[in-house]
Amino acid sequence: MKFNAVTLEMLWTRLISIVDEAAAALVRTSFSTIVRESNDFACVLTDARGRSLAQATDSIPSFIGTVPRTIKHFLKEFPIETLEPGDVLITNDIWLGTGHLPDITCAKPIFLKKKLVGFAGSVAHAPDIGGRMRSADAREVFEEGLQIPVMKVIRRGKLDETFERFVRKNVRVPDQVMGDLWAQFTALHLMENRVLSVLVEHKLNTLADLADEIHRRSEAAMRAAIREVPNGVYHHSAICDGFEKPIELKMTMTVKDEAIAIDFAGSAAQVPRSINVCLAYTIAYTSYGVKAVLSPNIPNNEGVLRPITITAPEGSIVNSTPPAAGGARALMGHFLPMMVITALAKAMPQKVVATIGSPLWCINLSGVRKNANNESKSFTNLFFMNGGFGAAHDRDGANVLSWPSNISSTPVEMIEQLSPLHVKHRRLRTDTGGRGQFRGGTGQEILFENRSELPLTVAFLAERTRDETAPSGIAGGEAGMPGAVLINGERANPKVQHVIEPGSTIELKTPGGGGYGSPSLRDVTAAETDRQDGYVSGVQHG
Amino acid sequence: MLVGCNMADYALGIDIGGTFTDIVVYDAVHGTSSAHKELTTPDAPHRGVIAGIHKLFEAQGIACKDVSRVVHATTLFTNALIERKGAPTGLITTAGFRDTLELRREHKYELYNLFMELPQPLVRRSLRLEAPERIRPDGRIEQPLDVEALLTQVARLKSAGIGTMAIAFLHAYANPTHEIQARAAIHERYPELFVSLSSEVAPQIREYERTSTTVANAYIKPLADSYLDLMRSEIAGLGIKAPLFMMLSNGGLTHIDEAKRVPIQLLESGPAAGALAGSTFGLRSKARDVLAFDMGGTTAKLAIVEDGAPLIAYQFEAGRQQRFMEGSGLPINISTIELIEIGAGGGSIATIDALGLLKVGPESAGAAPGPACYQRGGVAPTVTDANLVLGYLDAATFAGGTVKIDRELARAAIAPLAKMSKLSIEEAAWGIHSVVNENMAAAARVHVAERGHHAGNFALLATGGGGPLHGCEVARRLGITRVICPPSAGVASALGLLMAPARIDRVATVAQRMGEMNWREFEKAFVKLEREAGAVIAKTVSKRTRVTIARSADMRFVGQGFELVVALPPGPYTERSAAALRAAFTKVYGKTFGHVPPVGEIEIINIRVAASAQVAKGELKVASGKRGESGALKGKRRAWVGARGRFELLPVYDRYRLAIGVAVRGPAIIEEDSTTLILPPKARATVERSGNIVVAL
Repeated sequence: MKFNAVTLEMLWTRLISIVDEAAAALVRTSFSTIVRESNDFACVLTDARGRSLAQATDSIPSFIGTVPRTIKHFLKEFPIETLEPGDVLITNDIWLGTGHLPDITCAKPIFLKKKLVGFAGSVAHAPDIGGRMRSADAREVFEEGLQIPVMKVIRRGKLDETFERFVRKNVRVPDQVMGDLWAQFTALHLMENRVLSVLVEHKLNTLADLADEIHRRSEAAMRAAIREVPNGVYHHSAICDGFEKPIELKMTMTVKDEAIAIDFAGSAAQVPRSINVCLAYTIAYTSYGVKAVLSPNIPNNEGVLRPITITAPEGSIVNSTPPAAGGARALMGHFLPMMVITALAKAMPQKVVATIGSPLWCINLSGVRKNANNESKSFTNLFFMNGGFGAAHDRDGANVLSWPSNISSTPVEMIEQLSPLHVKHRRLRTDTGGRGQFRGGTGQEILFENRSELPLTVAFLAERTRDETAPSGIAGGEAGMPGAVLINGERANPKVQHVIEPGSTIELKTPGGGGYGSPSLRDVTAAETDRQDGYVSGVQHG
Repeated sequence: MLVGCNMADYALGIDIGGTFTDIVVYDAVHGTSSAHKELTTPDAPHRGVIAGIHKLFEAQGIACKDVSRVVHATTLFTNALIERKGAPTGLITTAGFRDTLELRREHKYELYNLFMELPQPLVRRSLRLEAPERIRPDGRIEQPLDVEALLTQVARLKSAGIGTMAIAFLHAYANPTHEIQARAAIHERYPELFVSLSSEVAPQIREYERTSTTVANAYIKPLADSYLDLMRSEIAGLGIKAPLFMMLSNGGLTHIDEAKRVPIQLLESGPAAGALAGSTFGLRSKARDVLAFDMGGTTAKLAIVEDGAPLIAYQFEAGRQQRFMEGSGLPINISTIELIEIGAGGGSIATIDALGLLKVGPESAGAAPGPACYQRGGVAPTVTDANLVLGYLDAATFAGGTVKIDRELARAAIAPLAKMSKLSIEEAAWGIHSVVNENMAAAARVHVAERGHHAGNFALLATGGGGPLHGCEVARRLGITRVICPPSAGVASALGLLMAPARIDRVATVAQRMGEMNWREFEKAFVKLEREAGAVIAKTVSKRTRVTIARSADMRFVGQGFELVVALPPGPYTERSAAALRAAFTKVYGKTFGHVPPVGEIEIINIRVAASAQVAKGELKVASGKRGESGALKGKRRAWVGARGRFELLPVYDRYRLAIGVAVRGPAIIEEDSTTLILPPKARATVERSGNIVVAL
């Protein structure tokens, strides 16, 4: 079938509205705060070869990149002839999936008149996956929980009972984990139904032509955007907290006419901790950075990726090999898009922002709690928070914003309803936004107290907690303040598990964003407003 | 109709919109209505209203003393929020949480945009202060309110010139004691301060949304207070004895004191009136499930009418940074008629994007410069330009002849776009028409599906200048086979005011698992809400009027975070009600999501009560024409027939001449002053006694 500007627009709009509807259903039926309050999931529609056609508007960038890849892996293990209507495939394999075990990817083949036409895919962060808590100090993937191989979790409409029994036995909150899987199945089912009615209505036998056309046009648009970047080789390196000592990431970006090649040679080797990033995640987040600067408005699909080559040495921390652990891979992976943005800062100063106070932060707790019938039950909670945004050539950075992920915080009232944590304060951190002509956004600080009668096991995701890893400024702007984790008021190592006694406190302080331009150029009124509103204490003002 | 002697009885509706103030009068004795449009006077909105009433009453020979009911809707408060023209506002929170308003939920509404604009909080940080106090999630007091410390903070706000403030303490939904104490202490010292409490404005869990709603209420409260008093006295000054009622966002009416208490409830009163008109005109054609579709110059609005009543939502966003982008505004938790607004109107601009795709809207040419064909300097091709090129609009009679439009300018505007996409100008025009239709259908499809319905089971009620122009095509895309075009669509929304019931909604958070529920307390909580709502209604309607109380609850499986609002059977509830409540929930769950997961216990987060009473009376008669099909034929016009991909010479009928019972077959065009109905091939349009034209597709 041939498409023109009108027919393609209408059909594509329709497909996007299908995945958006599926995403809404997934959120509304899920059982975990991670999905519903924090949007840690994605819905993607692909053609029969696993090539992406549409993804939910609100989906997380990493997942948009990984789901089509995972579906291609499904197809390798389960070739077309082995698939039947009503099947659902599943895995959480970190190298085939998103890079850490809690993300469970599912896909349902869509059949039209007995012919495979596409896949409804989704991935969602499970409330728990067993194993150690999600912290940075797991040494191998085997410590991180249950690994689900690529398999048919639903065969012709019937759930594999053995699978369910295995999962239930291995996770701390089996009802929530199974409930969220059902939410994913609901979303897939909905996508399947809607896609079939579109195909029938438009008298289409395949989605492949549509995928070709979408990818062809997306690729052309991306190539046109790359042409705006001056040819050259751009280098950038970033320092991450690491453990005993910082870890360095190195990037070389070569822009030649209509193509970009990004290579991470020189980056640190993978480590026996859980911050290793698999290549799929590296590709997803690196290309996210390219897109955010060059073509924020082009829908993300593999057409967009074609002009971009992303490579990393095997066995490096951004292309890990088994059995490397990856539970906290966001701590490394979230640096990647920022590296791309910063590398392009000199070439395109009006299209970039100073370093953002990312990666995302989170607190993960587990323990035992008595229910109304005085039975001891395991529970686990996961709450996210974010740092300040980087300033740009014409504006201050937002005070606290999720980036590059898009994970919402959980309301304090929900935290206190759901967990034994009592929140003493949650507020913006004064003086943490990097100074500059435009100020970086401030970070935030949250003080928790353990109100349980029992100790809690707590792990964190926390980054940029050293002076040398503070979010840097650009064009003369200063760095934002690094973050910190405090237990009972003392600096604690955020990369290991802690046992928190009843009555003890935990304080998380997220980093502020970098500033843009020299602080001496800051507008006098803006500086005065900052002082009045306490974003800046104004102790020293030049 | 035989009524008393020479008794006269009128109901007066006043709808202040951004551009026009609509005044409509319903004559309850004769069952007729008349209307007048007056330009809105934004600086002193009452002036336009009074001028309009004078003109209409004079023209119709109506005496003010014969008015027995006045109902008012206005966009004044929405505009105050959007334009940030409310009063300087202060906020006091629990110590440690003044930044709740600014921290929001931390997520982005645009994934790839590094330059996203976030909505600025309505209260800047230096005016957000804190008081020591703490309530636990179960409502127990952890730390008593430090009243002296509170008053010190209020003194700071006073000296900063603050006249209105919000108080939002953590877990105040579970126990409002501290907020109530705070207000009492403040009023003792500063009786003139407006104080809004989160436990009264939006008593629901989730502190950001509750604080945001309470602050918005505080922000418009001084304006609402003086405006409503002024309007009440101006109306009384005309010699109208009847009380002034306000339309709430939920489509119900209430008296001025309730409106002043929580004015944020008035936010969407204008659009609510429109949706109510949709349900009323639908019922006149015996359509109980209706998709009310109102397409104007800039946007299209969609509302679902289910079983004769518009659906209610319990949260929406005001003052969006990006008008049509969810998440870019301030969350407001009030009960409101559920409306979706999309950037699809006559002025919506068509472009070819970076991928070579034809996009229509949400950018709009607005009224100035307007579509290219308006000859006011606009050069961008719009939906109206496309409709003119396609022959759907008549340059000679457009907008009753008040706007001169030029077809050649429309063609010239579309030409570059046609060239870029290798289409003829006509094909490109049809493309624009089709894409905007698909945009509206897509929004409707998702909206309807999310509520577990099939669009095909609905009738589409088309209003606004663009509704009938696009209605049949939108319906076809949705699988809808019945399109209703009510008469006098231009003032339908104001008429809706006069059809509105009195309605008061109340909500409380209970947050209990059904398995561990104290049924006596649960029942008491419902009764308390019913008493409150009933008391407000009693002041709005006469003693004889029957008041209906409906119970519902926000329910979910334990562990889920989003609730479904479930209509419940009437009370009183006891342990034995558990099964019925469970069944009500699982039924709605199954309908909404397709299946019910085999897990989990059910919990009830919020309980809701809606008290309503019918106050409108009488039958509305509509003037009709006297001519048959041939007598109503105005002429013929070349117009594009999409289904056949070509121009054809189509008959053009004058709606005002068509007599009741006359049927017109498509393809054809039926014109009236404010809009044009395009009938596709095979459609059959019939003029009903109700005044509606009903199209069978």
